Amino acid sequence: MNRSAPAALALRGLVKRFDTKVAVSGLNLDVPVGSFYGLLGPNGAGKTTTLSMAVGLLRPDSGSAWVLGHDVWASPLQAKQLLGVMPDGVRLFDRLTGPELLAYHGLLRGMDPAVVDQRARELLDVLALADAGRTLVVDYSAGMKKKIALACALLHSPRLLVLDEPFEAVDPVSAALIREILQRYVGNGGTVIFSSHVLEVVERLCTHVAILAGGIIQRAGTLDEVRGDRSLEEVFVEVVGGRTATGEELAWL
Amino acid sequence: MAVTVAPAADRVTPPRVDPPRPVRTRHFVRLKLRLMGNNLRGQAWRISLFVLGVCCGLWYAVTGFVLFALPALADEPAWALPMAGIGGGLLVLGWLLLPLVFFGVDESLDPARFALLPLSRRTLVTGLFAAALVGTPAVATLVATAGLVVTAGALGGWSAALVAACGVVVGLFVCVAVSRAVTSAFATMLRSRRVRDLAAVLLALLAALLGPAQIAVINAAGRVDLDAARTVARIVGWTPLGAPYTAGVDAAEGRAWAAAVKLLIGAVTLGALLWWWSRSLESAMVGAASGGPAGGRSVPGGAVAQLFPRLLSWISRDRYGALVAREARYWWRDARRRSNLISIAVIGVFVPVMVNVGSRGMVDGGDFDASPTVLSGSMLFVGTLAALTLANQFGFDGSAYAANMIAGVPGRVELRARAVAFSLYTVPLLLAVSVVMVFFLREPAWFGVAVGSLLASYGVGLAVNMYLSILGAYALPETSNPFAINTGAGIARSLLGFVAILATAVLGVPVVVATALLGDLWLWLALPVGAAYGTGAALLGAYLAGDVLDRRMPELLLTVTPRR
Ligand SMILES: Nc1ncnc2c1ncn2[C@@H]1O[C@H](COP(=O)(O)OP(=O)(O)OP(=O)(O)O)[C@@H](O)[C@H]1O
Ligand SMILES: [Mg+2]
Repeated sequence: MNRSAPAALALRGLVKRFDTKVAVSGLNLDVPVGSFYGLLGPNGAGKTTTLSMAVGLLRPDSGSAWVLGHDVWASPLQAKQLLGVMPDGVRLFDRLTGPELLAYHGLLRGMDPAVVDQRARELLDVLALADAGRTLVVDYSAGMKKKIALACALLHSPRLLVLDEPFEAVDPVSAALIREILQRYVGNGGTVIFSSHVLEVVERLCTHVAILAGGIIQRAGTLDEVRGDRSLEEVFVEVVGGRTATGEELAWL
Repeated sequence: MAVTVAPAADRVTPPRVDPPRPVRTRHFVRLKLRLMGNNLRGQAWRISLFVLGVCCGLWYAVTGFVLFALPALADEPAWALPMAGIGGGLLVLGWLLLPLVFFGVDESLDPARFALLPLSRRTLVTGLFAAALVGTPAVATLVATAGLVVTAGALGGWSAALVAACGVVVGLFVCVAVSRAVTSAFATMLRSRRVRDLAAVLLALLAALLGPAQIAVINAAGRVDLDAARTVARIVGWTPLGAPYTAGVDAAEGRAWAAAVKLLIGAVTLGALLWWWSRSLESAMVGAASGGPAGGRSVPGGAVAQLFPRLLSWISRDRYGALVAREARYWWRDARRRSNLISIAVIGVFVPVMVNVGSRGMVDGGDFDASPTVLSGSMLFVGTLAALTLANQFGFDGSAYAANMIAGVPGRVELRARAVAFSLYTVPLLLAVSVVMVFFLREPAWFGVAVGSLLASYGVGLAVNMYLSILGAYALPETSNPFAINTGAGIARSLLGFVAILATAVLGVPVVVATALLGDLWLWLALPVGAAYGTGAALLGAYLAGDVLDRRMPELLLTVTPRR
């Protein structure tokens, strides 16, 4: 990956096997700089597994991941400097309050304390978390936890944001807010890749989409390339090939 | 599943659904067995741990059986009562204290998971209780106490054996119920904002009970006196601790009424414990408040100022400082870490103090001779135990550790910061122990030896446990009960603890040897040399283990992430 303009995120031949189950089998993906990339796929398709391997949380059985030309597994420090991550199904250090958690993340990233203070205040205000005061994050609601996790990922203004289901459990107002924050971030030259089940949001926000099913990328490209003249939902259902109607079963409901 | 599909034509009639079948106790038992089986599936190391646990259990069971049956086997009927009373009492006491202080309880059937099911409290409690009886410790206890049946049978024939068998079963039930009820009650208290600190103090007192118990055992073992033992056993036999276990002896010696009353005492105790347990179960089921500071009011000062506790204002505001500050807060805020800290601190501090001081007081004028070497040796034990708390330090964090990986924290910084944050609590404690010891022994000149040995063994222990916490980490369940552990984790915990203690002791022994060989000169040298040895060992440990951590971060995250 030593071209003049490396991709923001490049995944090459990623494979991950759990016991007998192959979760990801030979996955290739290029996320261009400045793109807003949506990763779609049915439950259990391997989205979380893929993103975890891309950011250095889960060691792939084979294959490699590159962030702006840095190999995540060979030179993790450079790659991780450029990354902001919001993992799914991972706890936060939730015995801290919101501000404490942000300060912790900021200082871990080697930021100046004054800058951390200022950004933390702004983020908490914008995400409507300032009122939580001294409540511990463990006592936050599910949506509030998502929002504080997003704030932690944004705090050090990374070049690439990797978000696993950022819109899950957040209310419509907060979702609109998050959309606007992410759009502004991409407008300023950042790159976002996120997984989601909300097709409308993906259709509205993304410049690129990839559809993952059975551990392989089935379709990938710009939004228009992938959906053609149909709706994204139609393409998704066709690619994934699931059933969309119930037959005789469930009559007892 | 006999669900009939309603024909499309008569949609108006409600579809027929079979009436729900009542949930029975055996369903809980089957569920527990299934969970244990699935837990072992396809993982060789878990299976070997399980086998090891069964072997340990078998060993204890057989030893216990022989001990309890000894009065009959050796034809010493006078010993039947002391064996049953004192042995049974110790057994119940062990079931009361050990889960709280050392082992935790196997809560693979987390009560919170049953909150949504339409189960009566009675069904739930009996079901969970039956499931709790499934497991190596309970079976081992049953086998061991079966020795009482042999004794009673040999002394009093079939009827006495039958009474003893009833007593043994009731005794086992009391053991299991007491461990559940007490851990559950403490879990509830540690969650509540109001009585959290009271619970901490209570826990400390209970843990401190181990000290006198130990002295009593050592003492009793020193001079075995049948009459005294019989008196003690007779008294214990009328308390819930010994009642069920001594019923068989009473029946054999012809006191049928006493046997009946004792069985009744056992049954009433059991009922009371189960009732108590069901009360705290309810609060465990309706979700867990964190017990953190009350919300609402916001604090003055920026985010960074809030992260650092006031006592830590001297630490630099950077990555290392943030790690130390967060760990320091966690040792206090996380109920699991707090209870660990409290119990290990109390055991590590009070037991040696009481053993040293106590045995000196009791064997006054005897051959006990306090010497710097003995002091140094016992301090080695304290330092080792204190450091042992870190043996699963990443398990405490669980999947939250991912945040540090994402930020790319180097292993060396991580380990150093964790050790420093923990030492903020332990080093003052260790210094206090030294002062207390020297004060009680009335030998101020030995202060240097005490502190030097403590710091040396603590530092070495930190180094050993850094390695262990990376290579031997295991996941802790995400429940509201800080005493809960996964099936099999108890064995892993004891095994790893044993390895850590052994390694620390070997590395710490030079200090004791130096005390013994160097004489008066060492009284002056011990403090600086011991402190340097400990600090050096800890730093070297962090340096070397940091490399291991850097290489194994993803594997570590996987092992400490609880599987839900
Ligand atoms: N730690 C693990 N051990 C075993 N199997 C796993 C593990 N993690 C994931 N899997 C399996 O890998 C597959 C992919 O899981 P993954 O979490 O990546 O799916 P996903 O696309 O994120 O699904 P969702 O949309 O539900 O979040 C699933 O079949 C899952 O069962
Ligand atoms: Mg997922």
